[in-house]
Amino acid sequence: MFRPRWSRKPENGCVVLDRDTVFIADRGAREAGVCVGMKRGGVLTLSPDTLMFERELSRENDLMREAAFSLMKFSPMVALCDEETIVIDVTASLRLFGGIVRLCHQMRDIVDAIGVTARLSTAPTGQGAWLLAKSTYSIHQGKRRVLKMASLERKLGTLPFQAAPEVRAFMDWFTGLGCKTLNDIRRLPRAGLKKRCGVALLDSLDRAYGLAPELYEWLAVPPAFSARIELPDRIEHAEAMLFSARRLIVQLCGWLSAQQLALTHATLTLEHERGRDAIDPTVIQIALAEPTWHEEHLLRLFKERLGRTELVAPVIAMRLSAAKIQPAEPPTETLFPEPGGSPEDHNRLLELLVARLGAENVLRAAPSSDYRPEQANRWISVTDTTHPQKLEAVPSDLPRPAWLLETPLQLMMKSHRPFYGSSLKLVSPAERIEAGWFDGNLTSRDYFVAQASDQSCYWIYRERPGSAEAEDPRWFLHGLFG
Amino acid sequence: MSALLKNVEDIHPALWRGSQLARSQGQTVDTGYAMLSAELPGGGWPLGTLIELLVQQPGVGEVRLLRPALAAVSKRPIAFVQPPHSPNALAFAYLGVPLDKLLQVRASKLADALWSAEQILKTGSCGALVFWQQYARTESLRRLHMAAQSSETLFLMVRPLASAADSSPATLRLCVRPAGDGIAVDIIKRKGPIRAERLSVTLQPSPVLLSPHARVRRHTSTPVVAGSVPSTLVA
Repeated sequence: MFRPRWSRKPENGCVVLDRDTVFIADRGAREAGVCVGMKRGGVLTLSPDTLMFERELSRENDLMREAAFSLMKFSPMVALCDEETIVIDVTASLRLFGGIVRLCHQMRDIVDAIGVTARLSTAPTGQGAWLLAKSTYSIHQGKRRVLKMASLERKLGTLPFQAAPEVRAFMDWFTGLGCKTLNDIRRLPRAGLKKRCGVALLDSLDRAYGLAPELYEWLAVPPAFSARIELPDRIEHAEAMLFSARRLIVQLCGWLSAQQLALTHATLTLEHERGRDAIDPTVIQIALAEPTWHEEHLLRLFKERLGRTELVAPVIAMRLSAAKIQPAEPPTETLFPEPGGSPEDHNRLLELLVARLGAENVLRAAPSSDYRPEQANRWISVTDTTHPQKLEAVPSDLPRPAWLLETPLQLMMKSHRPFYGSSLKLVSPAERIEAGWFDGNLTSRDYFVAQASDQSCYWIYRERPGSAEAEDPRWFLHGLFG
Repeated sequence: MSALLKNVEDIHPALWRGSQLARSQGQTVDTGYAMLSAELPGGGWPLGTLIELLVQQPGVGEVRLLRPALAAVSKRPIAFVQPPHSPNALAFAYLGVPLDKLLQVRASKLADALWSAEQILKTGSCGALVFWQQYARTESLRRLHMAAQSSETLFLMVRPLASAADSSPATLRLCVRPAGDGIAVDIIKRKGPIRAERLSVTLQPSPVLLSPHARVRRHTSTPVVAGSVPSTLVA
């Protein structure tokens, strides 16, 4: 069962039952007198209001796998071990992530994003780290990071022997011998131990102390990525899904980095609550111009996209799939970085702007060869790839106003002169633009530069009347000289 | 003691006398107009700080005023956020600003526009950001000013003339009004002495009054009779 961290604390505690016996109990339940191993009836007698949940092994396993995939960001060698443990070999990753302390902090962030709590320990041997992580012995609080073999031996020696699962079967016998710690067991004669307790016990201890080689079954990376999570509640605002989206994103990032891939296209599917009719899930396509495998960038993109999404119905689950991937390119390390960042940074910026404002609002210039100013001044979306990136040659000796009005503004006439703020004086000869007979938008205009009394200049035109009409000429303001 | 007082501005580059122009802290870009550059601290537009241009309306000559600076920083993209009208690509080509570097960002809401400007400044990948904004609160301006300081972007905000009376965190504020064959600039805030008189800047190029088309038409206006031989050839 999964209760998000922000959910209200149950008043009378909660317990998880495994086949009708208490498997784990929180503080509230323990204060009521519930202890591990108690039957369901006992819990009901002691505190009837305690929340009870059944343990679901399959979902626990799924969660473990989710966490393991996310942690693949740090090393491809991740193994799922017994008793809810994940063992990672980070020997080769230490320098990349800036040392063991930073690595541990980053791992904790990832585990937090998944939404579980974890005890983190490091040791020169996997089995040793496993033992340290499993020990609840108080003197090890905060001191689970061991780097040298000698200190590992010291630390393991003081652990109670119940920590090692192979020893637990012989608990009564060892207690009878007066053993308390792992050191006490190691002091016993090996031959006798082997005879009485089998090979497994000694092997396990030898692996922990680095005397025997360790073999792990590293987690295999699936060829395609598609992860789904159920939301803790029905959610009506797209932005509230960001926490769950982050859970999916860290998994995706782990999966990508384990294979050194970069994402170019992802699909986020939001499954809606089923009302009277089934509602098709909302699909959000996220296309990236610059392949990425960075968590922060993806998270920012998702945030902006989800912020723009209007939900048709409450969402109960979401699925993230990597639709298109490509091999990641290593970063180019120039000695003196360019001020203002790399072109990749700029592409990332464009993506971010597109995600929030929409593709139609982030534009680049793509002038077309046309006489009509409106058609010539064409701006297209930066995501538009139908037009070539290389621009057509533009005449550079054509004086044009810097600003074009979207729709020309008809000017008033005062004493036979166009009027805009003040009476306009024509200061240039006419430039006739007559085109568009080929596509039905015939324009036939005489453009003038006009100056107002405050010396600012305008680009105005006189519509050339058709031969039949002989009305007063109509003047329009079309541009401003910036 | 007197020697110290005489050269008090030599103690630290950030010090200047009230009667002097400040020396620039960071990089500057030449404005391209010598008269204006001489009046600005550091001899040009400062990079990585908020500069305000106050105009009555778009089209008073602000684009031509910025032209040399935009051309100078055009190695990197130039972003226009919320321009008042559609920027005419041909005009920018004529002014010498490379078109493939232009980026136009339109935002329907004020919050979106401010956010876009801040993101552009934070990334710092653009050479220049020109941001048109009618109403901006001092907090937003200060926030943009802070974001600008982390980058080396030429950051200009074009605001209405009416906001000249409001306080602003900008280090340089100029009022721009159209005048004879250029503009009249009032420097209302700078690191230096107050300049009371108006500075008139002749803008280059002045495409308005000298239309090449006019000249071409005038030359070809003499009718050429088909089949006639030019007189120079006969002689």
